[in-house]
Amino acid sequence: MNPSNPPQTAEYGGDEVSAIVLDPGYSTTRAGFAGEDAPKSLIPTYYGKYNADGQEKFVYGDDIFVTPRPGLSIHNPIGRDGIVEDWDMAEKVWEHSFTSRLTGAKPGNPFQNGLNDIPSEELPTEMEVESEEKPLADSPLLMTEPGWNPAKAREKTIEIAMEKWGTPAFYLARSGVLAAFASGKASALVVDIGASNISITPVHDGMILKRGVQHSPLGGDYISSQIRALFKKNSPQPITITPHYLISSKNAVEAGQEPQVKFKTFAADKAPDASYRALLEERTLSEFKECVVQVWPGPNKLSATGPNGISNEDAARSSPGRPFEFPDGYNQVFGADRFRVVESLFDAKAAIPDPDSPFPTLPELIKASLAGVDVDIRPHLLANVVVTGASSLLYGFTDRLSQELMAQFPGPRVRISAPGNTAERRFGSWIGGSILASLGTFHQMWISKKEYEEHGANIVEKRCK
Amino acid sequence: MAAADVRDMLDLPAEVGQPRPHKKQKVVEKRPEGITRELYALLGERAPPIAINENKYKGRPKWMNKLRVRPWRMTPFTNNARSDGLVLNHWQRKHESTRPPVPEGTQMDVDEKKEDEETKQEDKEEASKPLEQEYTFAKYNIKARVPKKYSEEEYNRSLQSKDWDREETDYLMDLAHEYDLRWVIIADRYDYQPKVNSEADANALVPAKHYRTMEQMKARYYFVAATILAIEHPPSEMSEAEFELHERMLKFDPDRERDRKELAALQINRTADEVREEAMLLEELKRITSNEQNFITERRELYSRLEVPISVGNTTAYQSSSGLSQLLQTLLQADKSKKRRSILGPEGGAIASPAGQTPTQANNGISRGETPTTASAASKKGVIPAREAQPIRTLTPAEEARYGVHHHERVTAGVQFRSDRAQKLTQAKSNVQTLKLAGALAELEIPVRLFMPTERVCKEFERLIQAVNLLLDARKVAEKVDSEIRVLEAAKAEREKKSAPGNGHPEVKTEAEDGNGMLDSTADAENDQKDGNAETPKRDGNHKRSASVLSAVSDKSSKRQRR
Repeated sequence: MNPSNPPQTAEYGGDEVSAIVLDPGYSTTRAGFAGEDAPKSLIPTYYGKYNADGQEKFVYGDDIFVTPRPGLSIHNPIGRDGIVEDWDMAEKVWEHSFTSRLTGAKPGNPFQNGLNDIPSEELPTEMEVESEEKPLADSPLLMTEPGWNPAKAREKTIEIAMEKWGTPAFYLARSGVLAAFASGKASALVVDIGASNISITPVHDGMILKRGVQHSPLGGDYISSQIRALFKKNSPQPITITPHYLISSKNAVEAGQEPQVKFKTFAADKAPDASYRALLEERTLSEFKECVVQVWPGPNKLSATGPNGISNEDAARSSPGRPFEFPDGYNQVFGADRFRVVESLFDAKAAIPDPDSPFPTLPELIKASLAGVDVDIRPHLLANVVVTGASSLLYGFTDRLSQELMAQFPGPRVRISAPGNTAERRFGSWIGGSILASLGTFHQMWISKKEYEEHGANIVEKRCK
Repeated sequence: MAAADVRDMLDLPAEVGQPRPHKKQKVVEKRPEGITRELYALLGERAPPIAINENKYKGRPKWMNKLRVRPWRMTPFTNNARSDGLVLNHWQRKHESTRPPVPEGTQMDVDEKKEDEETKQEDKEEASKPLEQEYTFAKYNIKARVPKKYSEEEYNRSLQSKDWDREETDYLMDLAHEYDLRWVIIADRYDYQPKVNSEADANALVPAKHYRTMEQMKARYYFVAATILAIEHPPSEMSEAEFELHERMLKFDPDRERDRKELAALQINRTADEVREEAMLLEELKRITSNEQNFITERRELYSRLEVPISVGNTTAYQSSSGLSQLLQTLLQADKSKKRRSILGPEGGAIASPAGQTPTQANNGISRGETPTTASAASKKGVIPAREAQPIRTLTPAEEARYGVHHHERVTAGVQFRSDRAQKLTQAKSNVQTLKLAGALAELEIPVRLFMPTERVCKEFERLIQAVNLLLDARKVAEKVDSEIRVLEAAKAEREKKSAPGNGHPEVKTEAEDGNGMLDSTADAENDQKDGNAETPKRDGNHKRSASVLSAVSDKSSKRQRR
């Protein structure tokens, strides 16, 4: 096979039109060109706001982590249930996600870069003028949305894309459907463990089944709150997380000893907002999740008794602990506790009683989701469970999930498909969008500018089913 | 150390023209490019063989340089599957036929400018061209076939339903079209909001919403579709496929479908125990069927073995020991050539076993010691090979009965059925006798062919048949004697008529008594009734005496009959 020959289009059905795929999430926003295997631009959805010289200024992207500017406060345009709340800022954050890496902050005139030499009589003349300002004038845009996105939000999204960004074609796809596509399935039960939410989306023939969509706020942030509760009750001493920016120097200490640390102090008017500290604490916590936290692999719950009469708690305690060092130098080995913080995803009783009201656990959500779909496709969905979302990377998560599902549905075959590749798990719905937007057969689905102008924003309800 | 040095040491004359300087030159020439001269000099004369790899971009193979670069161009295209004529851009290879072959070498530079102009022109050409071209993926834009829209009149005439009004039917048909008859999705998205007639629902805050199940929707849709199909083509004119479709749509039964789904839901929500039980039962079933299969094959094998024709060949050749050994040799030969499991068994056969034989068996006969006993030969003689190794175990009669061990007095070759032997007993010499036997058995309600020919039953049957035979013989004799008596009595009466009483009477009397006694011994009630009227008074007294006479008489009579 000669690598200089491109594959025939018929071989993979691809036809790339340099579309941009934008997958906004609660924690991060992913953007990239369709047809690539990972998003080129990955920025936090959080943005920073501060006052300088009497003017309100914004910080986007990874810059928000870096400088503790005076009065810097961190906000998120997306609400905790995954639906956009602050549309103006959401638009700016999203725009930053593709202008910073993909299209460039100030796109040159595409008619002069030689790539798009289109005879001028083909295009209306006013578009030439417009394209100077609009950042997406030459790329169709595929955006994702959660399965429970209300119609208002969808219409607002297409409005932004069409009117503010000037995209020639637009499509809004459900992130659950795209995650199913990313693992090569048209019908699947998508379990998405995100930062603010976990959601179950039944997908049939590339369309979600609305009555089966379930979501609950037991996402990565919930786990963080559980970890915080654990730190509060920690022995020998409660742990406070001090982010790196507050530490000027530290000395190594033995495990469990008081940290020897010198703090940085900020004057009251120079200090950043408390939300900045919370954001950085969250970073430490996600590191903790990556290094220490582990899901009890099953069978049965952590509080139950194992097959050989030893309670699972004891078994967890006897497994070797994992050490973790906090930014202030304090370090400790975490034993059975590291299982306990995520146990409440599966067992409502195991929640560390600090935060919030009880939420439906993951197995309950899946059960409720399956109850909402037709009985004929339930076995098929159970045989095609797709796990995606960065929080599903918790150690041992898929094993436990499959154990729970098999215990709950002993009859039908349960099969979980979770990509082993970290990037594929984190960007599942983006990758699905990348696949979808580069398919030749998909190009008839775009909502073009003309159609938008004809039918108004309502067309998104009709087209993006 | 060079050869020159050795020569120098050994005071040998140096060879003229030794090419030392020449060698150096050579080395210098070889110096690879990636290494400086100074560094290379440090390696000395005889550098170790170091392969110096140059990390150099390989580029394309030379032959490829002759190929022309095939240009790709961002070209706009429209999709025929769209109605709005959206223009998107994708990369496409430029059509080559329109271009002249690229001039080579020096001409290239000259032509570059010209080419640029050319391409620009071509761009313009091509930009317009693909618009006319069919988009490759447009052909995949297919829709499911949904029945055509019914008219107002058609609806009123044949599609009325008390459960569905016109608007909702329209809504359903639209959904079916929109989602290409994917019922799962249609049922999921079905959200029909009836138009609120202000008067009826004015007092209700939320209009009563009734949910449609998928079965209801399907039933309605199929009814509508079938009706429309029938309107388009009356059933008499339908093609076969159409008619089949029509029938199938009409036969849809929502209740049955609902029941089926309920059962399916039960099936899914089984508990772990139920699943385990089902798995166990399935396993059991599998075991049972496989056992049955085994049983059937074994039985067939057995039958085929039993049906082997009994050899009728002359066996005299194998009666002597030499004959037997010869037979064994031929058998072994055949065995070896067949390459199958040896008939001699896994221990190496009987040839090796004589060493382990007990002395008693050695005494049994030299012939057996010499001719190894094959399994078949051993069983013929009633000697089981295992006996040689194990101590003989005798069974008590109770055990024999328990294990079903029998000792046959005389075993004939081949397979015999016990039932056959019993059967043979019912066949008498003469046909008349056979019939009589059968009659007697029928009277006793015993079938001629035994149901359960176990050994004990057979023995009893044998005894019964013997008794019946005896009885029949006795009856014959009795009849004979009866007739004799009648003749003699008639004679006597005649004689009495003629003259005074004679002396023939006592003689006759004894014979009658004998017959009576014999009857008694067979203990048959029937004959008592038949013959008793004449002889009863004297029976008791004669009993003992006549027993011995009986056999002789019966023998005689039977002999007479045979003759």
